[in-house]
Amino acid sequence: MDINDPVTQAEEELDSEISSIRREIRNLQQRRRFLSSSILSSAALQKRLSKPNQAPELSLSNLNDDISPLVRAAGSHAQSNHHRIAFSTTTFPFKDPSPSIDTEPDGSKNLLGVRIDVCVRNGRFAKPYYILLRKLRVGKVRVKVHRHTIPAFIPVDRLERVFLPGVSHEYGEGDGTEQAQPPLKDKQPHARKQDLRGFIRELRRQLVSWHTRLDAVQYLRDQIGVIRRGVDAYPDAEEDGPWDRDIPLDTDLDSGAMEIRLKQNEFGIVALSPTALEASYVRIEWEDGRVGRFKISSSGLVERAVVIGDKGRDKALEAALTGGDKKVLTVLSRLKAGAVFTRESSPSSLDSE
Amino acid sequence: MPRQKSIRAPTTASLPNNLRIPSTTPSLVKALGKLPRQSLLDLVFQWLDDRNAKLFLPFLESDETESPDDEGLRPYPAERTLNDVRNAYQELQFRKGGKREVIDRILDGDWRHGITLRQLAMVDLRYLDDHTSSLRWTALELTRIGVSNSTHDNTSLTDISACMPRVHASTFLTTLQNLISPLVKAHFYLARSATLPLTFLRIFVTHSPYQNPRQAPEILTDSSRVMYVAFPDSCPFVYTSLASTTAGSKPASGSAAAVATDARSLQRIVRDAVPKALSLPHQRYTLKPTSLTAKSLQALLTLRGAGRMNKAAGAFSIFADAVIEGSPLDPRPSNTVAPEEHHKQSKRPSTSDLDPEKEKENENKPLDEEKDLDPSSSKMQLLRRRNPNLDLDPRAAKKRKLAVNARFGTSGTRLSSAPLDRLDVRLLDAPTPTPSMFSSDTDEEASGADGSRPSLSLTFSGTDVISGIRKLAELGIVDAQRMPTWMTGEDAVSVAVVKRGRAVRDSG
Repeated sequence: MDINDPVTQAEEELDSEISSIRREIRNLQQRRRFLSSSILSSAALQKRLSKPNQAPELSLSNLNDDISPLVRAAGSHAQSNHHRIAFSTTTFPFKDPSPSIDTEPDGSKNLLGVRIDVCVRNGRFAKPYYILLRKLRVGKVRVKVHRHTIPAFIPVDRLERVFLPGVSHEYGEGDGTEQAQPPLKDKQPHARKQDLRGFIRELRRQLVSWHTRLDAVQYLRDQIGVIRRGVDAYPDAEEDGPWDRDIPLDTDLDSGAMEIRLKQNEFGIVALSPTALEASYVRIEWEDGRVGRFKISSSGLVERAVVIGDKGRDKALEAALTGGDKKVLTVLSRLKAGAVFTRESSPSSLDSE
Repeated sequence: MPRQKSIRAPTTASLPNNLRIPSTTPSLVKALGKLPRQSLLDLVFQWLDDRNAKLFLPFLESDETESPDDEGLRPYPAERTLNDVRNAYQELQFRKGGKREVIDRILDGDWRHGITLRQLAMVDLRYLDDHTSSLRWTALELTRIGVSNSTHDNTSLTDISACMPRVHASTFLTTLQNLISPLVKAHFYLARSATLPLTFLRIFVTHSPYQNPRQAPEILTDSSRVMYVAFPDSCPFVYTSLASTTAGSKPASGSAAAVATDARSLQRIVRDAVPKALSLPHQRYTLKPTSLTAKSLQALLTLRGAGRMNKAAGAFSIFADAVIEGSPLDPRPSNTVAPEEHHKQSKRPSTSDLDPEKEKENENKPLDEEKDLDPSSSKMQLLRRRNPNLDLDPRAAKKRKLAVNARFGTSGTRLSSAPLDRLDVRLLDAPTPTPSMFSSDTDEEASGADGSRPSLSLTFSGTDVISGIRKLAELGIVDAQRMPTWMTGEDAVSVAVVKRGRAVRDSG
């Protein structure tokens, strides 16, 4: 096989052409599917089809019979989407595919799935979070968390112990079903009631507050101005300076976070980033070497702040960070006000030198 | 360079960053030679950076006047200023050549007065960043001591948080040093990984109490005396590198008499000290094993990281990757959308192009031992009735594919990357009424009291065990519907004890 062979070259050309055409076809098909399902699930069409009496034309009802499975699927999908948007927490049944559960004394193949949708700042929804609960076949209906996709810094285990008690004596095993002998169960008095709603509410609260914290940091960055590496052109004058890893937008670890840098700004801030994925602490770095860090509370207030410069702590800036209405979103305007204040006071210190 | 070798007193301080290993040490060439030329040059530029140059001072002409004994013998004359040194390496950067000339230039030229421990640590970490699968890592979970019982009754919700100690680097290192200083002399180097969301701590241990150990310099480059601790971001886990089981830690240094001074026990001391150093008053931590050991750090990050797959592997990875349903704003019914679109990845479905060559040995091994595998599971009676013929009926193939997808979810495909290189399973179930029917071509051991309860250990190894099993299931060799959970990777462990077809935690 010679690479320079004209026949193989022509073949390769044709192959690449074919593949590009296929790709285009695929894109167009996707677009068509998207549009058609949009139309099918649109409120106008669904409303019209759901009232066949008011459209007594014979032809339409025939048509209705033909397309009904598709339309019905689209309708139910739109409805469940409405529920997900409106209530943000929805449930669904799920069957555990594992074959060995039937032999378990308390196991059940049927799991209760809970889906939590969180709306984030860019008008999208984050990847849904799932909690799969297993019913225990003992007395009243009790559930325990079987699997979940909640990030590790939200302590699902501990929340479960508080809100869904009755599983703690066998907790600590990977899926502690193996030691749940019925006699042991009877001995354990389940004094406290399980509170599934409270459990889910608390979980959702933590998820939402995490996403809101991330959004707040991103909002602050956007206010300062962000240069993305490789996307936005940046002036060569500020070639040096470290790039930060961006916060991944859909909070997916392996989605390839982009490297970003803050634009030159009036605040003199070089870097502003959360210290960890959970984004409860934010680190700020100024041009003059001052480094600060503040904590965002779960209600979106700046709880504590520390700023350290070359000459020790900068109390004025700390006060600016935590002062005012304390909100994270207004940190920059407070800093601006604080900067004006320090600039007014600084000439005197210059004079003294 | 003033050498203060004359003062030798035992101290409790850690080995200093600037302790120099003589550049004539032959093992240094090997240590540096691990890196490719470009990485070496990158490191040198890092050393020569304005902010770091004080820490890694190269040998300059001004130093030479103090010891003008070997004038003209050196192949690399000392440069006059720091900038000249930089330019020399810039030149190397533009020129093509082997890495050997860079190493020679470093050892015989600009750092002829010795490579510091810190430089060596940077070399090692650079290697670790380039080769994330070069070590075996064990995931440990950080748990608080004495909280689990009290949470039952009186816990306000504000107290509930995952135990994620916020590591303040210098405080942590000081505490760690205080804890181990009576037993171990160590050098610490803490650095952020360039590629993964991890912070590495490299600990080099030695047993000499002296600041300037008068040992053979080879000891300082002995890789069996190095252990790594990795702190992944935002999750209550800690990864430690396993001590290499090879007996390579030769009993040099002549002090092989004391048992506690071999490299492994030194490492154990350090590992025990890590949770204590992370603890705060009234907030004590301990490390709990999580039965996961793998070579790939990526696998550890997926299964024991901050992500979504910690408690949702195997069949439930469809939830972790959110591939079954789209966002609530998507008008398309979810069953008409391919999982890859949900995953927003441009890669095509990958099941077909998994390279069978990559599965080094386990690909063929399970083929032979499938007769052994099946009876070992708890569903023996059912399986014996199984029709062993592989049906080539397309409908059966489609059904099989559905079953495989249901059991494995996305694990074992390219969508999720958690390659386990080894899976050890110990089956406690009575394998079969007639135990003689399985032959012994796996490493199995029949133990148990009076032979009535034999147990069977299976070991799978390869580059990615779970995707290998998935492949077998796709070929119809393993029955996807009836195989036990541990084969699908649902338990996210690499060591499992299986009872009644389900993995239980090893109590011992």
